Amino acid sequence: MTSTRFNPSRRQLLAMIGKVAGGAAMYQAMTSLGFAQTSGYSGAVSLQGPREGRRVLILGAGIAGMAAAYEMRRAGYEVRILEYQARQGGRCLTLRGGDRYTEMGGHEIACDFQGDGYFNPGPWRLPVHHRAVFDYCRRLGVPLQPFINKNNKAYLHSASAFDGQPQRIGHVETDMRGHVSELLAKSLNQGDLDNAVSAEDREKLLEGLKEWGVLDSDYRYSVSDDLGEVRGWDIRPGGGLMAEKSPSQPNDLSPLLQSGLWEQLFNFNDYLFEPPMFEPVGGMDAITDAFARDVSDLIRFNARVTRIAQNENGVSITYEDGGRGGEMREETADWCLCTIPLSVLVQLDVDCSDAMRRAIAAVPYASAFKVALEFRRRFWEQDDWIMGGISYTDLPLVQIAYPNYGFLSDGPAVLQAAYDTATAGRTFTYSWSSMTPQERIEAALELGRQIHPQYDAEFMSGTSWVWHRVDWSLGCYGQWTDDLRDEHYETLCEIDNRLVLAGEHCSHIPAWLEGSLLSALDAIKRLDQRENA
Amino acid sequence: MPRRPLYTYLMLALLAALLAVAALAQEAPEPTVEDDAMQRLLARFSDHPDHFTQTSGEALYRATCQACHMEDGQGDMGAGAHPPLTDNPKMNSRHFVAGVILTGYHGMPGFADVMSDEQVAAVTDYVRSHFGNDYPDMITPDEVANLRPPDNAD
Repeated sequence: MTSTRFNPSRRQLLAMIGKVAGGAAMYQAMTSLGFAQTSGYSGAVSLQGPREGRRVLILGAGIAGMAAAYEMRRAGYEVRILEYQARQGGRCLTLRGGDRYTEMGGHEIACDFQGDGYFNPGPWRLPVHHRAVFDYCRRLGVPLQPFINKNNKAYLHSASAFDGQPQRIGHVETDMRGHVSELLAKSLNQGDLDNAVSAEDREKLLEGLKEWGVLDSDYRYSVSDDLGEVRGWDIRPGGGLMAEKSPSQPNDLSPLLQSGLWEQLFNFNDYLFEPPMFEPVGGMDAITDAFARDVSDLIRFNARVTRIAQNENGVSITYEDGGRGGEMREETADWCLCTIPLSVLVQLDVDCSDAMRRAIAAVPYASAFKVALEFRRRFWEQDDWIMGGISYTDLPLVQIAYPNYGFLSDGPAVLQAAYDTATAGRTFTYSWSSMTPQERIEAALELGRQIHPQYDAEFMSGTSWVWHRVDWSLGCYGQWTDDLRDEHYETLCEIDNRLVLAGEHCSHIPAWLEGSLLSALDAIKRLDQRENA
Repeated sequence: MPRRPLYTYLMLALLAALLAVAALAQEAPEPTVEDDAMQRLLARFSDHPDHFTQTSGEALYRATCQACHMEDGQGDMGAGAHPPLTDNPKMNSRHFVAGVILTGYHGMPGFADVMSDEQVAAVTDYVRSHFGNDYPDMITPDEVANLRPPDNAD
């Protein structure tokens, strides 16, 4: 053989583009290949409707199932939803004081919050480009408020750096920008980059670096009042005869690099987390409650589906009325739209192609957990001047998220005191998931007090959620890989005779409400086309 | 992905605990029951975010499998089920059990990227010799290595 044909995988190709042409070009290529897309929503779905009476059975009253019901009934289909739980909303839910939930293993989750704080165990923030979610919030009248994802006053923390003292996000960011600007300016001034940068551009670049990195006249990143204006002050400018202002002291480059705090800063880099983000006022379930106001008359609760039978003429769904062990019932329809998570669906008796059965069995469900703690007062605001946002740490709690509502109010308030998912590749979420509800609270307190010592004096009560201990999802979301997608994704989304699947697992935006909505809208559009073919 | 700096919290905590114990030696020579319990609880976490550092089958079970298969290995069921590890004919084969731990099964995630061959072997042997199981055949790390899916990551 004289030559080898080079057939790079998509990931190899992207990595090559990234190396040669930089991140922006890689992102552009990713968009061309269908990854990292901005939401594919292009306005309200338009269905033709059935030519004669057609019955659609939807399995699952989460956001995908309810959105499908909402649109299909409007288009003239006769719709019914079967839901396993006694509530709608699926993984979009909110816990408030008085709520109880028995997780798998028989452990009771208690939420005893005394104040008006709440806890969203699943989705909790809306990227502004998730246009389907925003459009439904507008159409259904769900009020939104800003969600502060990045607050420069929140902390980055490493137990083994800076004597365990948390550092302000804004400080780390300004310092890294300053040091990198200084190094780049040094290279430019030494002529190291003459091959890459023309003389004219070099002058512009140096000028910009001086401003961007707050460098002095010798292109050094150092303490000055100019830096104080950007990084903040040790003694803040005052009034009257208050002490003279004094700029804050930057950190050296090496400790920042070695501490891992620079890497923690990348938590804010994703397009998904670009400011501004939003959340529904009062809790995430405002969105699914709004859908329910329209479709709740279609939902049969406490229906545990056991069998999905189908032939060329229709579907027949068998379910236990009242949950496992309940009376067996059967519903028939012309179409079935099934939003049951694959982790559960794989355990049911489903008539479908072998390829679809393999696809249903192929996708692992990601581990994810959260712990929420209520405190007597907003010490993070009153003592630490952190008004909303998220602190990150290398402790196993990973992040602490501050409430973005009720600022400066007296009385109790709730922190999302620990949260991680398996997507980032960390092991911690499995270990949190193996703890009892009480142990999770104790661990969150023990670890969190290293960042906020006020925990000890102010703690009231805590609650938590572990997605692998939820019997109707058996995990948090479909954990796709490129290889799994190549092999199974299209099959999973295709209409199989009279059955079509929908939900975040049938989207390129796994775990997000937007993925569920786009999947449902695309599925019902194709059903409607098939109906009218 | 750049490697993260070594996760040293537990070492620091241990050091702090030792210093505290030394300082209080005259008044309180023994750490309290609560301190012990907390240290055991925090030992549930790996010392490193990217892979598990526990070595015994039991410690690894408590840090991972227990989330779904529960403290007693009995799993649980509702809309869907986490299968019990007791009276389960699939446990007959050490190769099957180790393979599932490596690559996952249905909705269960695999642990090939976060556990070594030795760790997978330790967990396999642990679950096959506890929860009412008494399988005599142990699996070797070499056998686990042969079960690993080919590394097709690029």
